[in-house]
Amino acid sequence: MSDAAIQYNEDVVKKFVIAAIFWAVVAFLVGVVLAGQLAWPVANLGLPFTNFGRLRPVHTSAAIFAFGGSALFATSFYIVQRTCRARLFGGEALANFIFWGYQFFIVMAALSYVMGFSQGQEYAEPEWHLDLFLTLIWVLYGVVFIGTVLMRKEPHIYVANWFFIAMILTIAVLHLGNNSAMPVSLFTAKSYNVASGVQNAMIQWWYGHNAVGFFLTAGFLGMMYYFIPKASGRPIYSYRISIVHFWSLVFMYIWAGPHHLHYTALPDWTQTLGMAFSIMLWMPSWGGMINGIMTLSGAWDKLRTDAGLRFSVTAVGFYGMSTFEGPVMSIRGVNALSHYTDWGIGHVHSGALGWVAFISFGALYYLVPVLWKRERLYSQKLAAWHFWIATLGIVLYITSMWVAGIMQGLMWRAYDQFGFLQYSFSESVMAVHPYYVIRFTGGVFFLLGSLIMVYNMIQTVRSPTTARPAAEPQTGLPIGTAMAGA
Amino acid sequence: MDIQVSDVIVGLLMSVLGLIGLFMAAGATDDAIYVFGLSLAGFAVVFVLGLIRRHFDRQSGTMPKGTDYV
Repeated sequence: MSDAAIQYNEDVVKKFVIAAIFWAVVAFLVGVVLAGQLAWPVANLGLPFTNFGRLRPVHTSAAIFAFGGSALFATSFYIVQRTCRARLFGGEALANFIFWGYQFFIVMAALSYVMGFSQGQEYAEPEWHLDLFLTLIWVLYGVVFIGTVLMRKEPHIYVANWFFIAMILTIAVLHLGNNSAMPVSLFTAKSYNVASGVQNAMIQWWYGHNAVGFFLTAGFLGMMYYFIPKASGRPIYSYRISIVHFWSLVFMYIWAGPHHLHYTALPDWTQTLGMAFSIMLWMPSWGGMINGIMTLSGAWDKLRTDAGLRFSVTAVGFYGMSTFEGPVMSIRGVNALSHYTDWGIGHVHSGALGWVAFISFGALYYLVPVLWKRERLYSQKLAAWHFWIATLGIVLYITSMWVAGIMQGLMWRAYDQFGFLQYSFSESVMAVHPYYVIRFTGGVFFLLGSLIMVYNMIQTVRSPTTARPAAEPQTGLPIGTAMAGA
Repeated sequence: MDIQVSDVIVGLLMSVLGLIGLFMAAGATDDAIYVFGLSLAGFAVVFVLGLIRRHFDRQSGTMPKGTDYV
């Protein structure tokens, strides 16, 4: 059966693409506001719902779950249908419910944050009623995705789908584990986690780090393994490495959470275990990076002409860089300097902006012309502008945070000749101010780049210059045969 | 009447969610549950209306522009 004979559900993919682009701008905008507040506290405006504490989870949730999540839903639904040569399982109503239900969850969660409601678990701030609603959406997502895989017309399950399945199953377990809480009542948005103290911290970072490992890494690796070969027109460099990459990554990541709790009440052996597994993660991370980059063998010239592919390949470079930096920071001695400083913020953003956002931009630049049946992207030049502005933004962001973070770490541990702390905390806050302004500038650049992308995408869909040329009249063939595409 | 199974299942699910939303809003002791409950009920109503509209669009062959489903 040819692909043309299968009518894929592209409607839901389109919706998630639009949502991903919309939430990207929201996430970057709120991030810029927060960076401004950190540099100039007056930007908190003195209002409860605009202060940093309430807007910060809006930014992280918008970036991770709204933008990243919508990009993952879009690409996973697109990829699973094509690689399995099967229409999405469950019908259009279920797919639509997953889309609108997920958007409903995002809006409700953001609203609850600005109203001051949070269960105080990082990256899992929504209270119990929203957690239950998200569980329903996620389980149905699993049913649709795995159902489509089971209905496949291809004997083989393509490696990208393995990564998506790992993401779906693991995130379900993490979400349920970390949000096991008892509500005060069924009519109150307040609950208490079943674990307390250091056990709660351990479960929180088992969740938190694996949200990075399985949502922001495994899912986006699924994207990498599909869109880089498609955009470059080359097969994966080594399918064998991709399988080793998959199994070693999923085995090792799940143990790495305790490195967030060095020098705490957590038992030393647990901290060491987390550190050791974090260092072992170098192997699969770099194996995957090499596999992604080497896929371009014989097609490097396309980086000059295809800005979308340039985003994807640069993303893989950032993936390699941030997965090198992460294990370094997990080493106890390094962590003594880096923890609680802005180095951590820089590290997170090299992954979030360089890896997650860039690999998503690459996929979006590929998908929009394909989904809206356009001949090409409206402007490669604008996409190139987006690429360079965003890259410059990331460089400003992460280098300023490295300098600020290392300086903070050094100032906090400096002693004078009498054994007293050399600097007060407020002195370290004043010292990092210039770097906060540089970080703000980097964020503005990244936001500007995304606005260029929005314009480019709208024009790609609307402009007559991107329309596919009308098919040549099939003279000489009987009408019925020509219509059937024979 | 050619009714799709997924329409029925999702429609029933949304009806239950809408009722839960109304009960939560009715007994809410804080703003978060009140807003969530009312919004859930509203979301359920709009979604079920959308299911009904798509059902009749399918029957009459007048699908909204840009949709490609069968």
